[in-house]
Amino acid sequence: MDSGEHVPLLACRNVFKYFGALAAVNDFELDVYAGDVVGIGGPNGAGKTTFLDVISGINPATSGEIELEGRDISKVRPDLICHRGMARTFQLNAGFDSLTIRENVLIGSAFGLGDHGIPAVTFSRAVHERVDRALELCRLADRAQTVARDVPVLERKLLMLASAVATDPKLLLIDEPVGGLNPHEVDDVMEIVLGLAAEGMTIILIEHVMRFLLQVSSRIVIMHHGEKIYEGDTQGLLSDRRVVEVYLGEGTADRLQHMLEERAAADG
Amino acid sequence: MKTRDYVFFVILLALAAAFPFMGVPRYIIASTLLLFCYATVVSQWNLVFGIAGIFSLAQLAIFAFGAYSTALMGRYLDWSLWPTFPIAGAAGVIFSIFIGLACLRMRGIYVALLTLAISQTMFVLIQTDSDCSELNKAINPSTCVAFTGGPQGLGDFGTFGWREVLGGRNWMMGDYYSMLGLLIVALVFTAAMTQSRIGLAFKALRDNEELATSRGVSVFKYQLIVFAASAFLTAMAGAFYAAHFGSVGTNLVSFPLLLFLISMLVVGGIGRNWGPLLGAGLLMVADEFFKEFSDLRNIGLGLVVLLFMIFLPEGVAGAIESVCKRLQRLALVQHIERRLTAALRRDSAAPD
Repeated sequence: MDSGEHVPLLACRNVFKYFGALAAVNDFELDVYAGDVVGIGGPNGAGKTTFLDVISGINPATSGEIELEGRDISKVRPDLICHRGMARTFQLNAGFDSLTIRENVLIGSAFGLGDHGIPAVTFSRAVHERVDRALELCRLADRAQTVARDVPVLERKLLMLASAVATDPKLLLIDEPVGGLNPHEVDDVMEIVLGLAAEGMTIILIEHVMRFLLQVSSRIVIMHHGEKIYEGDTQGLLSDRRVVEVYLGEGTADRLQHMLEERAAADG
Repeated sequence: MKTRDYVFFVILLALAAAFPFMGVPRYIIASTLLLFCYATVVSQWNLVFGIAGIFSLAQLAIFAFGAYSTALMGRYLDWSLWPTFPIAGAAGVIFSIFIGLACLRMRGIYVALLTLAISQTMFVLIQTDSDCSELNKAINPSTCVAFTGGPQGLGDFGTFGWREVLGGRNWMMGDYYSMLGLLIVALVFTAAMTQSRIGLAFKALRDNEELATSRGVSVFKYQLIVFAASAFLTAMAGAFYAAHFGSVGTNLVSFPLLLFLISMLVVGGIGRNWGPLLGAGLLMVADEFFKEFSDLRNIGLGLVVLLFMIFLPEGVAGAIESVCKRLQRLALVQHIERRLTAALRRDSAAPD
C-alpha cells in the first residue's frame, strides 16, 4: 500500500489509556487506510474493547493523538464522532429494546449523519432509504417490525451492525460480531461483513473466533497487555513465535494453518 | 398509535364534552376539571419520565412555578389572567431548562434527588416569605402580605373571568371547558411528540444512552429539549389551576401533591400513551374514598404505588395492553385450530 502518499482514514499515535496505574492501552499506534479490514485479536483483558471505546469517544484516551481523516478526534464527544463518520457496535448485544428493529436502525440513520439546527419532527426520504439499505445489507428486512427485545442473539448482533451501517460510516468498528454464535451463524455474519467491506466500508473488528478473524481481515493486529505485539498478514501471524506463545497456542496455530491451506487448495 | 387509539380518543372527548350536561352534581364537575388539570401535568411528566426515561420529580415545581407566575402577574400588574397564561408557560420553560442543565451530569436516582430538592427549596422559600411587601402596601396599606403570600397563600389576582361572561350559575362550565381544552392540547402534543423524530431520540436515550450517543444522538440537546417541551403545558396547567381557584398556596409544591401525581403516573402506566389519563381518573376516584382518612391518605397512596411497582409495573394501561395481546393470540390459535380440524376432516372424508 502506497501509504506515504495518502492521509490514513484513522491514525493513532502514542495512545494511552490508564485506569489508575493500569495501562489498558499502552502506547498504541495504528494506521487504517480506506478499504482496510483490520482484525484485532488477543487474549481477554488485552485492551481491545478499551481501544474501541477510546477511539469512538465513549471513554476518551488519557493521552495520545487520534485523527479521523486528518482531524483530531481524541477529545470529541461520541455523538459528534459518529457524525464525522465513525460508527461502532458493542460487545454486549446493545439495542433499543422497546423499539422495533426498524426504529432501532432509524435512529442510526436519522441522527448518525449530523443533527444540527432546529430539531426536525419528521424523517426525510433519504433517511428511510438508508434504513432500507442497512436492513438489506444486514439481512434483517423481513424482521423489521419485530421488537428488539424479542429477537434472538444473531439478530441482535445484526441489528447493532445495521444501526451502525445506517449512519453511513466511513469507518465501522465491530466488537466481537460472532461471539456466542454457532459455526453456521458465524458463516452468515462473515458473508455480511465481507459484503459491507465490498460496499467500500473500512472496518476495524475485534474477534476471538480466529477462523472468522483470519478470513475476513486484510490485516491483523494482536494486542497483549494493552500493547500491539503483532501487525501484519495472516501467514506471518501463524508463524510469529510471540503470538503463538501468548495467544494462539501450538495446536490452534496448526489447525488454522491447516484450514488456510485447505481453503487455498479449494480456491484453486 | 393505532386507529383504535384515535377512536378511543374521540369517544372520550365526546363523553368529556357532554359530561356537564348529564345532570351530575356540581362538585363532581369541579373534581373532573381538577382531574383534567392533573392529567395535563402527568401527561407532560410522562414525556420526561416515561418517554425520555429521566427520573425527574421537577414537574410539580414547574406546575407551581406556572401557578405563582400567573398569580403574581395578576396581582401586581393587575392584568387579566388570559395574557398571563402563555407568559407563565414560557417562564416555566425557562425554569425547566435550568433544571435540565443542572441535572445534565446526573443519572437515575440522583436526578430524582436533585429535582425533589428543588421542589422542597421552592416550598421553603415561599413558606418562609413573611416580610410585608411594598407592592402589597400599595394595594392595601392596612394589611401585611408577603410578595408570594407566604404560608397564607396568595389570592385576589383574578380568575378565568367566566363569571362575568356566563353568569354566577354557569361559570364553572367555562372553567371546565378551559381545562378540558388544555388537556386536549396536552394529549395531542405528547402523542405527536412521542411519534416524532424528537420522540425517537428521547426513547433512544431512555433505552440505551451509550448506544444512542454512539449513533449520533446528543444527550445535551435532547435532555434540554425534553425539559423545555414538557414544561410549557405543565406551567400552563399551573396557571389554569390558579385561575380556577383564584388563589395559590404552598400546597402546590407540597409532598402530598407530589405523591398524588406520582401515583397517577405509576398506576396509569409509565411511558404508556393512555397512562396519564387512566391514572388520573383512577386516582381521583380512589381519592374520594381516601378523603375520609385524611392522615392515612399519604400512607394509602404510598402503598398503592408500592403494590403497582411490584405487581403491575407497567400500570393499568400496560396490563390492559397485555390482556388484549393475549386475547388476540388466543383468537389466532383458535382460528388455526379450526382451520386444521376442518382440513383434517376434509382429508379423512375424501375417498381414496
